[in-house]
Amino acid sequence: MTSLLEVSEVSKSFDGVVAVDGMSMTLCERRITSIIGPNGSGKTTLLNLIGGFVFPDRGDILLRGQRISGMRPYRIAALGVARTFQNLRLLRRATLIDNVLLAFQHQAGEGVFCALTGWKTRREEKASQATARELLAFVGLEGKAYELAGSLSYGQQKLVTLACCLAMEADLLLLDEPVAGIDPEMSRHILELLAQLRQEGKTILLIEHDLEAVKAVSDTVIVLDEGRKIAEGRPDKVMRDPVVVEAYLT
Amino acid sequence: MDYALHLAIITCIYIILSVSLDLIAGYTGILSLAHAAFYGIGAYTTALVAVHLRLPFVWCLAVSLVAAMALGGIVSAPALRIRGDYLVIATFGFQVIFYHALSNWTDFTGGPMGVFGIPQPTVLGYTVTSRSGFLLLTVWLTGICVWACRRLAKAPFGRVLQGIREDEIFTLALGKSISTYKVKVTVIGAVMAAVAGALYASYISFIDPTSFSIMESILILAIVIIGGAGTIWGPALGACLLVTVPELLRFIGIPAAIAPNLRQILYGGLLMGFAIWRPQGLLGRYAFR
Repeated sequence: MTSLLEVSEVSKSFDGVVAVDGMSMTLCERRITSIIGPNGSGKTTLLNLIGGFVFPDRGDILLRGQRISGMRPYRIAALGVARTFQNLRLLRRATLIDNVLLAFQHQAGEGVFCALTGWKTRREEKASQATARELLAFVGLEGKAYELAGSLSYGQQKLVTLACCLAMEADLLLLDEPVAGIDPEMSRHILELLAQLRQEGKTILLIEHDLEAVKAVSDTVIVLDEGRKIAEGRPDKVMRDPVVVEAYLT
Repeated sequence: MDYALHLAIITCIYIILSVSLDLIAGYTGILSLAHAAFYGIGAYTTALVAVHLRLPFVWCLAVSLVAAMALGGIVSAPALRIRGDYLVIATFGFQVIFYHALSNWTDFTGGPMGVFGIPQPTVLGYTVTSRSGFLLLTVWLTGICVWACRRLAKAPFGRVLQGIREDEIFTLALGKSISTYKVKVTVIGAVMAAVAGALYASYISFIDPTSFSIMESILILAIVIIGGAGTIWGPALGACLLVTVPELLRFIGIPAAIAPNLRQILYGGLLMGFAIWRPQGLLGRYAFR
């Protein structure tokens, strides 16, 4: 197992409140790692640190051995790290396909010169559109490509953000509560997709409150409490750990 | 006939101004009140270069574009750090500074007296003396600007701009350097506004700071909002309406003394009406926010 992401001794505090405290972890390729923990335990901050949305006070984050802590989010994204947001960010007033098209990297037509002259853009756009439709079909939104994202159900919108991550061709997906607040059937569908993506070589780090979901898909579970890692290991083992039970139940 | 040609030329100038502001405000969501400053830098640069250096129009235009690029870069700097209401205030402040610089830097800009005796433009060795000739030049440059805005808006470039308007964080997470795009779009918009300024200066042959005040910025923004922000044809239509309709006031016998005031009331009323009943503007699909 080769490691894809290395987080070592990372700390971050906001106005004196410690959100992440000396956190270390290693994400291996083709593995699904889940982070669980009570509210305010620093889960989302950890994701923000990896994605470059906040900078660590101390510690290093390495992607394939390359230091990414301190890089701007768009640079990290371009290196193959995609993420979704807990409060579900996407372009609600745009069509699904436009959401996915925006996610493709290194498009010639994003430059002013190519956009004006049309050089290289027409064929590229055609190919991107075809791929975008395939991705939407893959996540289960076939035939909805031209509907507005805002008109979809909450669960379907989560599928759109997943399709965006895939369009980025990222190796590492950071998913913030991918199955929270949606019906069981959709939740099952998303978990199946995640398992399939692991098969296809993606590495996934997810934050989730739904422990059943976590058990179902995770290879490794990391438990956070007050910004510190209190347990790590196989899901069934970790969830029986008395320290974890105490942190969760009290 | 001359009057109709005059209206057509002024309309074209406003089409350039509103379509270029639309790229900045309508597509990208950078609510800028500094567009008249870009318009002004184009007009003043063209005027000063033409009067003092006696260079042909193409060179005046070229120097104006470079000046506008620089100014666009300066204005976009705060836009990288702040948004929403604060950005409106920052661009407002910039516009006010620009206006006072024009009014008070008397040695260079002529101050409140303005710059006069701006020569008629010479294009390819041919001096444009007639109104119809000038209209031809204006329509040609307007066509280029509208075409360029449309190309940019429809391309993946425009998709990123709209992404920034709808959700900056999401767009950033998708690997787009939003600061680079903000600078680019502001500079492009500034350059086009400078084209409008260059046309205006060489057409009217006299310019003073009052043409480039905050009221002008507000008017251009009103055109964009009333026409439909985030569409190219909306602001173009808005420019046609907001330039020509107030002119009709002349024909219903309103004294010249109150006509300009009435015009301001008309703009204000229209803007309020649209904000309440049709926030997406005439041709727009989305409410401007």
